[in-house]
Amino acid sequence: MRSQVYEWDAARTNVSGTEMTTTQFGSALSIFVGGFGNNITKPAETTATQFCVIEDIAVTPSAFTMNAGDIAGGSSYRGLPTGPTTQDSTGIAGPRAYVQIRINTTDYFLDPDNVGNDGVPGTASPYPRSVNFQPCFNLYPDVYVLPGQTWDVRVTAYQSNNYTAGDLSAGDLQCFVKYTLYDGPDALIANKLLEMGISVNPGNVDWYKRTLIQSQGM
Amino acid sequence: MSMRSQVYEWANLSTSGNFMLRRGLNATAVAVPVDREISVFTGQYGNNITKPAETTATQFVVIEDLAASAYVGGAVQVVINTTSYFQNPDVTQQAGVPGTASPYPRGSSDTVTGTATASNVDNGVQLLNAFELTPDVYVLPGQVWDMRYSQSLSNVSADNGALGVTGSTLAVAAFVKYTLYDGPDALIANKLLELGVTVNPNNVDWYKRTLIEQQSAAASAAAAAAAGGAQ
Repeated sequence: MRSQVYEWDAARTNVSGTEMTTTQFGSALSIFVGGFGNNITKPAETTATQFCVIEDIAVTPSAFTMNAGDIAGGSSYRGLPTGPTTQDSTGIAGPRAYVQIRINTTDYFLDPDNVGNDGVPGTASPYPRSVNFQPCFNLYPDVYVLPGQTWDVRVTAYQSNNYTAGDLSAGDLQCFVKYTLYDGPDALIANKLLEMGISVNPGNVDWYKRTLIQSQGM
Repeated sequence: MSMRSQVYEWANLSTSGNFMLRRGLNATAVAVPVDREISVFTGQYGNNITKPAETTATQFVVIEDLAASAYVGGAVQVVINTTSYFQNPDVTQQAGVPGTASPYPRGSSDTVTGTATASNVDNGVQLLNAFELTPDVYVLPGQVWDMRYSQSLSNVSADNGALGVTGSTLAVAAFVKYTLYDGPDALIANKLLELGVTVNPNNVDWYKRTLIEQQSAAASAAAAAAAGGAQ
C-alpha cells in the first residue's frame, strides 16, 4: 500500500499541451484527462488487483468581498484576485472553485434534492492551506474505488471575470487529491475489510495481516 | 449507496434576479433582508435547489458542521420540520450559530473595512471556530430539514455605513457538512439511535461487524451441532 498524491494546476501544460483559459470556466474539467492544465495519459482506474481510497481533496479557495461601488478591481484580497483593473471588484475574490469526485459515471457529492452538484467548495477545503484559508471539511468517510472502477476528480470554477481573458497563471487555479493505493495482496485484504464492514486504512490492513499470522500460529 | 459525506454551500450570488438554481458564471452579490431567516435551499436568494431538503424513508442524515460569513452579524440556524434547533435559554427564537463563532471561510476576517481603493474585507484578523456541532444533529427518515441564514445588519452599503464604501453589496455565504446514510446503512443508523449509540461511520461499521460476528458464531454453532448429531 502506498500513499499517493496528485496536484493539478490550470496553467501547466504537461501531456495536455494546453493551459486553461477563462473560456473553460463554468464547465467541469477532469484534472486527469480534461485537456487543460497538467494531465496524465489515460483516465484514472483501478485494475483487478488494486483498491484505491481517496482521503482528501482540495481546490483553490475564494473569499466573499464587496462588489462594485468605489472598490476598484485589479487588486487582490488575501492573495486572491478581485477582478481586472478595467472593472469594479466582482464581490468574490478568487475563482469560486469546486471539486467533485466521480466514480465510473456517478458523482459523489449531491445536493439535498439528489441532483449532482459541483462538489466541495475550495473555500471549505482550500489548497494550498494557509492561516487565511483553513479547512472546515474533511473527507470522512473516505471514498473507496473498488477494483476495476474508473474514477475522476473534476474541477468547476465560476468567477472568470476575476482574471484577464486568456491563459491562467500558475497558482490561479489548483487542485489536490490525496489517496492510498492498495495493490496485490493488500488490495485483497482491503476487499476483505470492506466485506467485514471495517474501514479500509493502513492500520486496519496491518491489523488483518497480524490476525492472519497469529491464526497460523507463527 | 451506503454512507457518503456531503456538503452544501450557499452564497447570495446570482446571475440575474435575487436567486438562481445551482450556480452560474460571474454571479454578483444581491441584497439580503435584515433580521429575516433565509432558507439556503429554497429561500429565493442566491443559489437554490429545486425543493426543500428532506430524507426519504430509507435515508438518515447527520449534520456535522455548519458555518456562515462572519460579517454583518451573519448567523445560521438548523430547522427540523418546524422546529428550530438553537434556542435561547428561555426557549425563545434566536438566529442560531453566529458566523463569528463558526466562520466561513475559516480564517476569514470578522468585519468589513472597505476603502475607496481596494476590495477590503480585511482587518488582519483570521477568525477560527469557537463552535463545534457536537453532538451532531440527526434528521430522521421522512423529516424535512432546512438551514437558514440571517444577518442583523444590511449587506448593502447604502443601508449600512459601516461597510465603508458606497454603491456596493457584500457577498455573504453559509456552509453545511453532513453525512447521508442510505439504504441498509440508514436502517443501521436508526438501530444505533434506538440503542443510544452515536450515529457516525465508525459506529455503523461497528454494528455491521457485530452482525457478521453473530452470524458467523451462529453458523459455527450450527455446524458443530450438526457434526455432533452425525456421530
